[in-house]
Order: sequence, then C-alpha cells, then structure tokens
Amino acid sequence: MSGDNKLDKRGSASISGAGTISGGEYERVSISGSGKITGDITADEIKISGSGKIQGFARAVRVSTSGAAVFEAGIVADELRVSGSTRSHGTTEVKELKCSGVFKTDSALVSEYIKVSGSLSVDGDVSSEIFKTTGAFRIKGLLSADHIEINLAGRCEAREIGGERIEVRRGAWHQRGLILDGLIRIFTGSSASLLQSQLIEGDTIHLEDTEADVVRGKKVVIGPGCTIKTVEYSEKLSVDEDAEVGQRKEM
Amino acid sequence: MQDENLISKKDVLTQMGISYGQLYRWKRKGLIPEKWFVRKSTFTGQETFFPKDRIIERIEQIIRMKEDHALDDLARVIHQTIGESIQVAPDSLSRLGWVDDELAELCGRHDTDSQTDVTANTLLCLAVIHRLRQQQLVTPEELLLVQRTLDKARETDDGFIDRLAREPVFLYVLRKRLTAAGISAQISLAMAANESTLFDPEIEVVDSVDLAGILNRLKLELAEEEA
Repeated sequence: MSGDNKLDKRGSASISGAGTISGGEYERVSISGSGKITGDITADEIKISGSGKIQGFARAVRVSTSGAAVFEAGIVADELRVSGSTRSHGTTEVKELKCSGVFKTDSALVSEYIKVSGSLSVDGDVSSEIFKTTGAFRIKGLLSADHIEINLAGRCEAREIGGERIEVRRGAWHQRGLILDGLIRIFTGSSASLLQSQLIEGDTIHLEDTEADVVRGKKVVIGPGCTIKTVEYSEKLSVDEDAEVGQRKEM
Repeated sequence: MQDENLISKKDVLTQMGISYGQLYRWKRKGLIPEKWFVRKSTFTGQETFFPKDRIIERIEQIIRMKEDHALDDLARVIHQTIGESIQVAPDSLSRLGWVDDELAELCGRHDTDSQTDVTANTLLCLAVIHRLRQQQLVTPEELLLVQRTLDKARETDDGFIDRLAREPVFLYVLRKRLTAAGISAQISLAMAANESTLFDPEIEVVDSVDLAGILNRLKLELAEEEA
C-alpha cells in the first residue's frame, strides 16, 4: 500500500501508507504509515502513529505520537502526548506534555505541566510550572519549575534545578527491586536510580538518592542515599544518617 | 559589569525578602533577563550574581506591579521593546507626577500640545533631564546642552531610539578645566556614547545616564500608572 493520501473536504489529511503532504492549514492530520510533511503546518490535531517527519514548524491544539516522529523545526501546542519516540529540533512550547515514551530535543522545552513516565532528554533548559516524573531524564541546562516531583526510576540528571518545592523520592521499585538494585550497585558502583545535579535551589527541598555539589534552600531535608558536597540553608536542615554531606552552612 | 556592583543570589533573596520560587518563576517569565545571571566560581562552588542596581530596581518594580498585573502582562510590558513607535497619551504624563511645565517646555512640549500624543523622543528627553535634575550635579546650562544633544541624535540618526534597545548608549555630561597663563576656564560637554567610552584623564564625568535603561524604567512607570 503506497500513496494512499487523501485530503478531505474539511481540510484534513491522512497518510496511511507512505506519502508526503505539503504544509499548510488542516483540521486533522494523521500519519499511520510512513509520512512526511514538507512545510510549516497548523492543525487542530496532529496524530502520528507510524513514522512521521515534519520538516516545518508545527502548530496545533493537540499533538500525539505513538510511533516515531521527528519535528524538524519545533512545536507549539496545547497538548503533546508522546508514547512513541519523538524528537524535536527547535523549541517545544506546549501547555501540557505527557510523555510515556521517549522525548528528545536539542533545544529548550517550555511548558506549564510536564509529566514523564518514560524518558526525557533535553539539551537546553526545561521550564514549567509543574514537573513530575516517574521515569528517567537528562537535562543539560536548567530545570526550573514551581513544583518539581521526581520519583526516581532510572538515571536522572539536570545541570541545575531551581524552584519553589523540589521533592526527590526513591522510586517504588527501590522497595520492590532491592535485589536487582543491589546487583546494579555492585556492577556500576552506584544505585540504578539516582539524581545527579550540580546545583539544587528551592524553598522547600526534600532529596533522596541524590548526588549534588551544592544544595541551597530554606527548609532542606537530605534523605537516605544522598551525597551532597555543600548544603546551605536558612531555616531548617535535617540530614538522614544514611546520607553524606560535606559542608553545612546556615545562611 | 564591574565586580563591586554585583550582588549574590542569596543576598538578593534576603535583602528583597523574596523566595527561590519567586526568583525562578520571574526568570521563567522573562522578567529577569538571562544575561543578568552572572556565574562565578567561589570557594563553595558555583554561585550566581546579578548586577546589583538593576536587579534590585527590577525586583522592586515587580513587587509593586504584581498586585495589579498578572505576571504574564508584566512580562509583556517589560518585553515590549522601546522603539520610535511608542506613543503615550498626553494625560498619562501628568499622572507620572514629576513632569512639570519647566521640564515639558525644555523638552519642546508646550501647552498647545496637550492634545497630542507624546513621542518616544520627547519621553526620552523628559526622562533623562528629570534624572539629571534629581542628582543635582548638572547646571541648567548643561541640561540645555543635553537636550540639544538628544535633539541632534534624533535628527541625524533616524533609528536612534530603536538602536537603544540593541546596544547600551550612555548620555555623558563632561567638564574639562583649562588653565593657561593664570587664567582658568571650564568647558562643559554633553555626549551620547557607548558604555565603554574612554575620556582623557583631565575630563571629569559629572553624570551619566543609561539611555535604554531610563526609557525602560519610564515605560514600566507608565504601565504602573495605567493599572
């Protein structure tokens, strides 16, 4: 099956075999085979369940990908759902990102609500109001959000983290998978699930299994499994007996 | 940015009584420009510093204005580039509270103009002269010199105000004393030049004004009045 492209009268386009459509304005665009959009596109809904490449800039109310999608010039959308593998070259600005697959961008990610249960990789900064993960992430820049809730499951890394409330908890599988985690610890020298960061700053900070150079906050809890070089706090500090803190300073 | 004018992030928070949450939020909204965040290595590790006067002034502004403006509006106001196209309704000047007749007259705005919008050029003149008068370092004759310099900048350089948004231009008031055969005379100069301009050591910089900064401040002040 090839070239089964249709453009219906409401201005929707779908590719279900292999095909190419040009950019423009559509109501719905769906790619379920292998498709290419060759220009900038505006649509209410963009749905990619096969393999899709958007060569222009994508602007949509809803974007969902369950296959492999590549956005070559960035995305602006109200809602972005990723359950496959999605790459965005260019800024991704969405009100809501739910990622249960793999989302990668070589640029910045701007959102209001981000939930990651798969994996996230961002070369620029991530900014959001709420950032929740139960998966893995790697952020080369600054992760900034009002509320950051990280449930460790895999390696998590951000150069800097800043916000109002920052909570990092051992993932559920830490309890379930003690043996497995123990094995990984033996082979790799560290826990399979941990957060690494150079700098963590917030008003209320709770950390577990975290490695950081500097942690600064008003109320700081350094929980089990943490290795922190310097902690600076202004109101309250508590350090778990199973944590290592180099220096503590009251600001 | 010279070292002595920097303030650490910690000190900003304590001095202004704000939280990390607020600071990071304002940064995300673009209320505090990225380039103000100056990273330095200290003995405790990386620390962030800010140009002191600018960050304190900006935070005071945000705190004052956030009562009446949503953060996003505030971001819009701050982001709106100052440009030739900015025009302000005539009555908003009087609401600023510091534009008196003498100042208005000096900047070429007469009673007969009371119905027409205020142009960006006039706004700049008003703001600069007002700021110089406040400091009281500059004589009335020098103020006139400043006004004429700004006038000339506008006449000879079409995009003068638009250019301010891109590169820092300062207005300098300078004095030089010449002594010869027992007679000494002092000359005053006004000039618009870049931040890094060097003067000969005998020149005294009486006062200087960051033109883009002052226009920005005025823009925010006008926005505050609107609320």
